[in-house]
Amino acid sequence: MVMLRRKTWRDIKENFGVYLACIMVIALGLLLYTSMSIAVESMDKAQQDFYVETNFADGFITVTGYPENKVNSLTFLPGIDQAAGRIVKEVRVIDQQEDSNRYLKMLTLNDANAPQINQIQLIEGQLPDENQPEILVDPKFLAANHLSLGDSIDVSIDGNQVSLYITGTAQSPEFIYIMRNAQDLYPSAEEFGIAYVPLSTLKALVKEKGQVNDIVITLKPGVSFDSVKDSIQAELKPYGVRSIVPRKDQTSHAILTSEIKQIRTMTKTLPVVFLGVAAIILYTMLRRLIEQQRVAIGTLKAFGFTDREIILHYLTYPVVIGTTGGLLGGLSGVALSFPLTTMYKEFFALPGLKSEFSLKYLFFSLALAFVFSVLSGVKGSLDILRLEPAEAMRPPAPGTARKTLIEKFTWFWQTLSSQAQMGIRDVFRTPTRSLFNVIGIGVVYSLMTVSWSMQNMTDVLTVVQLEQVQTYDVKLQLTEPSPTGAVKFAVAHDPGVSKVEPVLEVPASLRSGWLKKDVALMGLSEESTLYNILDKSGRRLEVPDHGVLLSEHLAKSLNVKAGDVIYVESPLRREPLSQKGENLLVTGVVPQYVGLNAFMKDTELQRFLRQGEISTAMLIQMDSAEIGSMKSKYQNASNVSSIESLKDTGAKIQKMMESFGFTVWLLAILGGFCGFALIYNASIISLSERKRELASLRVLGMTPREVLRVITSEQWTLYAFGILLGIPMAYGLSMSMAQSMSNDMYSLPADLPPMALLGAAAGTAFSVLVAQSRAYYKIKSLHYVEILATRD
Amino acid sequence: MDVLMEGKDLRKHYRTGEVEIEVLKGINFQIFYGEFIVVLGQSGSGKTTLLNIIGGMTQASTGELYYKEQPLHEIDDQELTLYRRNEVGFVFQNYNLMPNLTAYENVRLAVEIAQNPLSVSDILREVGLENWSDHFPSQLSGGQQQRVAIARAIVKNPELLLCDEPTGALDIQTGIQVLKALQKLNREYHKTVIIITHNVEIAKMANRVFYLKDGLLDDVKVIEKPLCPEEISW
Repeated sequence: MVMLRRKTWRDIKENFGVYLACIMVIALGLLLYTSMSIAVESMDKAQQDFYVETNFADGFITVTGYPENKVNSLTFLPGIDQAAGRIVKEVRVIDQQEDSNRYLKMLTLNDANAPQINQIQLIEGQLPDENQPEILVDPKFLAANHLSLGDSIDVSIDGNQVSLYITGTAQSPEFIYIMRNAQDLYPSAEEFGIAYVPLSTLKALVKEKGQVNDIVITLKPGVSFDSVKDSIQAELKPYGVRSIVPRKDQTSHAILTSEIKQIRTMTKTLPVVFLGVAAIILYTMLRRLIEQQRVAIGTLKAFGFTDREIILHYLTYPVVIGTTGGLLGGLSGVALSFPLTTMYKEFFALPGLKSEFSLKYLFFSLALAFVFSVLSGVKGSLDILRLEPAEAMRPPAPGTARKTLIEKFTWFWQTLSSQAQMGIRDVFRTPTRSLFNVIGIGVVYSLMTVSWSMQNMTDVLTVVQLEQVQTYDVKLQLTEPSPTGAVKFAVAHDPGVSKVEPVLEVPASLRSGWLKKDVALMGLSEESTLYNILDKSGRRLEVPDHGVLLSEHLAKSLNVKAGDVIYVESPLRREPLSQKGENLLVTGVVPQYVGLNAFMKDTELQRFLRQGEISTAMLIQMDSAEIGSMKSKYQNASNVSSIESLKDTGAKIQKMMESFGFTVWLLAILGGFCGFALIYNASIISLSERKRELASLRVLGMTPREVLRVITSEQWTLYAFGILLGIPMAYGLSMSMAQSMSNDMYSLPADLPPMALLGAAAGTAFSVLVAQSRAYYKIKSLHYVEILATRD
Repeated sequence: MDVLMEGKDLRKHYRTGEVEIEVLKGINFQIFYGEFIVVLGQSGSGKTTLLNIIGGMTQASTGELYYKEQPLHEIDDQELTLYRRNEVGFVFQNYNLMPNLTAYENVRLAVEIAQNPLSVSDILREVGLENWSDHFPSQLSGGQQQRVAIARAIVKNPELLLCDEPTGALDIQTGIQVLKALQKLNREYHKTVIIITHNVEIAKMANRVFYLKDGLLDDVKVIEKPLCPEEISW
């Protein structure tokens, strides 16, 4: 059927703009699909390979001190395969700048005789020699601090200042995503890095001799972590067990895994949205084409073309569009996967992470495009079967015109111009097509709200967290729980300090039935004003005398509400094993955007821990001019693990939010493009359908702008219905986005502020306007005399 | 002469909403091989419906229709399509050419489904359009377009050529050119041609004239000496 193919090609050329818009929508959807699929597959593979290669641990235990020579005996516990002990020390890098804030986490390298768990991969240079002040650092720290191999770094270890020489860089499976702690939110390679040091070297530098403070274990195949946790806890209790973390909760692993999961979800949902919009465009376009070529179809039938041949002919349009879009999207997706993977490499130090040309995803994207296009094509062209050739030769019966519901509001209807009345009636004259367009606009609108609602989330996180929740200027974190009195007294007398509030943060396991969550349990004083717990409307809440307050995300994870009872245990509680925990009443559920905590009154938490009046950090309100000198005063103090000013925290939150920015604005732009394509297609269809009507209006003396009003009235009506439908869709989308992006580090608020709704409405309106401006030029160049002179 | 087609008591009714309209009310006829037949009748007399039934574009509601002794009234849609494909050529008042195919390509389109097609170039030469084959319909006059339509109809080498008001949209000079082409096909290629028209003058070219009135075949007139197109005018 060479001639029919030629006809298809020329038909497409005549309305190339609409077809191109449709090709672009398909291509964009598949660009996202292919690039993200390849990137996520590479990440997943790189993660698995690296874990296997380096024998990544199944459990991470921190203790105050455990005899080095006893570590191996942990393997006698049922379920444990291997155990390795290490010394882990977080040390401050000493430099000239007094308020500099650089830390290194020092980890001892595996002893040659010990099981090789969490092996490192040497990236550059050579391993440090035993007993020598030599270290390996993570490559990002090296680069961010402009260091080179052979350079030395001065650090303070347990009060001793030591110079350490960098012999190379290395990567461990434990620190693929490097963050100092979960509260940090965002990696900062300049301020925090990992250093690997021979056991013999670090042993000589620390106070605790013959002891390790960190143990990693692997489990025997098929053993669950929960089944061994109790026996580990019992064994290590006398040695001051601080935390027992399964692999799934290990910070780097959890973030990487959640990122992979999030991208996976996006690869499944985003392309469907785009292909859905493309299917709507293709369907309406094909329906119009078939209506327009009714006589041509009749002629083909009269000549003896079979229904199958004719349907196949009309299916070539969506197939050509789908295949072109699929190929374009697939190929550009493969190309984009390379920079995308490089971008992920910036965040995740996965040595094997690299993108590869993927025939599989190219094929998948082609197949996806093909299936979507053919389905919309089949739906759009099945009417051909119902058309008897004799009937097809006659012009179609005029469309039914009846009064619409809106016309009952006579006062409103009569204020409209004739053009507007024509446009609005047309919406109801083709209900299926209008419905599809309304759905399309709804989808575009809800996609756009995401950008504004993400902006709102950023504001809530930064403004609420920094201005209302954390109202302190400096947080002084202690290395271990310490008696409150002395520290508070010392800090309170430092220059510029106007207020000091102790806080007690301890690791705890919260259980409700079979659901369990390990979090930081935070004890706040009754009169605490430097850390506030707020309710949904932003009012400050008093910490209740008894029981525990849970953050919304935490309550959801445990499936509890206010009034329920949960079982709480903490490794820091001084009690015999038989009473390792306590049932506590959930007195309330509060929103918490940064961090995942349970809150108690400090006295109540101290009672629970039975360790007397202790605290783990001091919140300080002080003169900002003195912050620098305070940092330099405490930077070498052995009982202070960090001093962080609110400014540092703010910068981190801001940085994390910026990392969302790209995705969010990309979504808005792509959403806008979909909206444009949809409305542009609707305009072109309206124009071709109403050529004669519009030409008559031109002949009557109307300007192109006045004639355009017929089309724009129709579109603004569709737009209004689309927005109405889009609002609930936007709420749904916002909720699922917030849910999928929230994790143990931060919860994103799901509410949609009026600005998001209005902003997205304006954004959608803009794409409608752009599409209409294209329609305007088409009307302007309408050869109306010629159109009126020819028969349909 | 052998009978090519025979219709017995053909009736056709349409239902539009609540009303049922009977367009053909029982028509009986015979058409012989190689005949030139003109069907005359007022608007609404059922001419186009009869032509559509003869051409397999629709089926009669009741009655029998035989083509080469095969019952067309008993065959299904697929067989009817094959009948149109292999046996019938159509020429329409409004030409119905594919606007984005050239004259040559419009004719070639029909060749692609024909069992025993003629040469496209030969046919275009026959209708006097050999120099216009690269032109799109919008670049041709009405008469030229109609001749492309005729070329498209006969390139399949059909037995039966059905023309619905083939000169209806043309001026007299162009109309005569088109009629000459049709008569040539009938006389030189022995194709059976049926033309439906309002124009009584055209009837003078026919072997027989069917007069349709109010859904019935009112009269059949045999013309002993059909005229050439040049001899008629309107």
